[in-house]
Amino acid sequence: MRVLLGRAAVLLVALGAWELWARSQNPLLYIPPSKIGPALVRVVRLEAYPALPEHLGLTVVEVGVAYALAIGLGLGLGFLLGLPRHLGEIYEPILSGLYAIPSVVWYPSLMLFFGLGPASKIAFGFLLGFFPVVLAVLVGIRSVDRHLLIVARAFGAGPGTSFVKVILPAMTATVVAGLRAGLALTVVGVIVGEVLGARAGLGYLINYAYGFLRTAEYAALAVLVLVLVMAVDGLAALVEARAQRWAG
Amino acid sequence: MSRPAEPPHIEVRGLTKRWVTRDATIAALEGISLTVAPREFVTVLGPSGCGKSTLLSIIGGLVPPDAGEVRVAGATADGPDPRKVAMVFQDPGLFPWRTALENVEFGLELQGVPAARRREVAKGLLEPVGLRGFETRYPRELSGGMKQRVAIARALALDSPILLMDEPFGALDEQTRLLMGEWLLGIWARTRKTVVFVTHSLQEAIMLSQRIVVMTARPGRIKASLEVTVPWPRDLTGAEATALRARLWELIREESLRALEAGR
Amino acid sequence: MSRATRRLAQVGSLAALVAAWEALVRLGWVDPLFVASPLAVARAVGALAPEAARLLGETLGKTLVAYVLSVSLGVGVGLALGTVRHLYDVVNPFLVALYAIPKILVLPWILLAFGLGTAPAVVYGTLHGFFPVCLLVVGGVRDVDRTPILVARSMGATPAQIYRKVLLPAVLPAVLAGMRLGIIFCLLGVLVVEMFGGIRGMGFLLSSLANAFRPAELFAATALVSLLSVGVVLLLEHVNRRLGHWR
Repeated sequence: MRVLLGRAAVLLVALGAWELWARSQNPLLYIPPSKIGPALVRVVRLEAYPALPEHLGLTVVEVGVAYALAIGLGLGLGFLLGLPRHLGEIYEPILSGLYAIPSVVWYPSLMLFFGLGPASKIAFGFLLGFFPVVLAVLVGIRSVDRHLLIVARAFGAGPGTSFVKVILPAMTATVVAGLRAGLALTVVGVIVGEVLGARAGLGYLINYAYGFLRTAEYAALAVLVLVLVMAVDGLAALVEARAQRWAG
Repeated sequence: MSRPAEPPHIEVRGLTKRWVTRDATIAALEGISLTVAPREFVTVLGPSGCGKSTLLSIIGGLVPPDAGEVRVAGATADGPDPRKVAMVFQDPGLFPWRTALENVEFGLELQGVPAARRREVAKGLLEPVGLRGFETRYPRELSGGMKQRVAIARALALDSPILLMDEPFGALDEQTRLLMGEWLLGIWARTRKTVVFVTHSLQEAIMLSQRIVVMTARPGRIKASLEVTVPWPRDLTGAEATALRARLWELIREESLRALEAGR
Repeated sequence: MSRATRRLAQVGSLAALVAAWEALVRLGWVDPLFVASPLAVARAVGALAPEAARLLGETLGKTLVAYVLSVSLGVGVGLALGTVRHLYDVVNPFLVALYAIPKILVLPWILLAFGLGTAPAVVYGTLHGFFPVCLLVVGGVRDVDRTPILVARSMGATPAQIYRKVLLPAVLPAVLAGMRLGIIFCLLGVLVVEMFGGIRGMGFLLSSLANAFRPAELFAATALVSLLSVGVVLLLEHVNRRLGHWR
């Protein structure tokens, strides 16, 4: 109970301080929380940006396509490299090594190749979401309890049956966690791509508002995107919890 | 104890197995010869590392021999045959994503038995192992002893004539081990399977089996084969049991010392 | 599979990839306006080297400042949160929530507030690097095996001694892990700011080369930044191994 009070206190103090301080500063730059509310209403009512649904729709489509590619190619490559005994050993270090490179360095090349349109955002989102999925498959396969495979063989299971009845269920929790991480990264990738250079989409809209110094609306759009991101991850978390409960 | 003159259920002749690693070749078994009659309960007793688990795996068809012959129920063992041989390991190896019932059904599922029949058989098996009411529990909700009982039920579901058990109670505490041993004897009396039971516990060997096969330290060979003449129900404190225990210890002690010295 | 065989397979695969890439460009299957051949990229590296070196230095400089800040703040806050139970209970959910916010959303505001220069890059880089360091340190502190601490206390060690001789060495692996992750995030943050705000540095070089449709130089610059990043991480891992060898 004390903890909840403590948290509420922290929240109130933080918001209060923000409010007071922002009011005393340049209104163009510093938005008190109280101003974000009305701006959010204006944005949602499409008064600020009548084309908001189109932008939102585009971002959603970009995320959808990018994620579908990330899942498809990620799972595919993961199984391709993970199932045969030695391929994973060879290629996993390379894949993990690529993790050491900040992902954004690829974006200008993608923009050069795909242009400013949705394709470069899809490509970037795919790139970001792909790695967690592949690595999750590789780790998942590797961490299957070998003893379970021996048991299955003793009971007469062939390689195909073992794959379907032992390896796949044993990997599920790990793979679903990877899928969730991939989704989060794909969403961020698409938005970052839109902010850095686009002609449409939520990220573009944020950039636009910032460019015109419509700071309150920019903040409102940021809140909107944040809510959407949290909703998507929330759904993913539910799916992950379900999968983990089943997988034991 | 007279047994009808039936052909042996398990026949091992001159079995040799070597494990080859990058650094060395380890001789696990050398020239093992052993027969087990139908419906016989045989214990294989030996120190750590003597190859008793390897022996069982070879009989079960999981590992091929390097030399020698292994015949199970009249045919050469060249792969696992769940219709003839069911196995239980020290690690119960229950599938964590399946309930107790679904675990027991596993072997039947692989054989294509229809769902309703599988369910019926599995339920029927969970009752005698004392797990009625636990059908929908997941392995993580079960104790060690319960998990092993599910594993045994899963093996029994195959209804195979031979049951191979590799230190199945090894990971359990002493009280549970004793209870599980009693319970296993009940199952054996009812189902009359041929059982080969691997253990390093003298007590278990004396309590459970009709015959004890003693193995040497690595490379494993058969040192002796003793009939257990202690009458049923087995009184482990009685004179016969005590004498047998002393005899077994005499045989095993030097092997255990050798195993210890070899760094196992 | 031996280590040598693995290395051979890895190098061989990469070489095959590069060869295929070169072939694709030569056969004219990809438009040279968008994709440059590996040889062209190699030549561009040479041509670009002096300018790239300068800009790498700029970016690296900002990154290091951001890194020092995020590590100090991250370790400090992380230790505090990890050791003071009440603080953790109250503040941790906020920390996790803040971490989950895509930092790109605050980027435009940071540029508004800090202008166009070194400051926003350092601030944003610090913001990026702070969270992984802090969260890993918090996790590390909370995961510390209590037994050595109890033993130390039973021997009459003062809190300060326990801190220095038991807790800090035990937390060190988590701190090092956080520091390894932190450098990548700091670099990422600085690059993003340079790209978005047109601030001088490798980020800006990459985006301007893209806008100018110069794929060879762009790939060359990308490769250079990638090598720098991988190099820094390898260096940190080496330091990590030397420091954490008791594990």
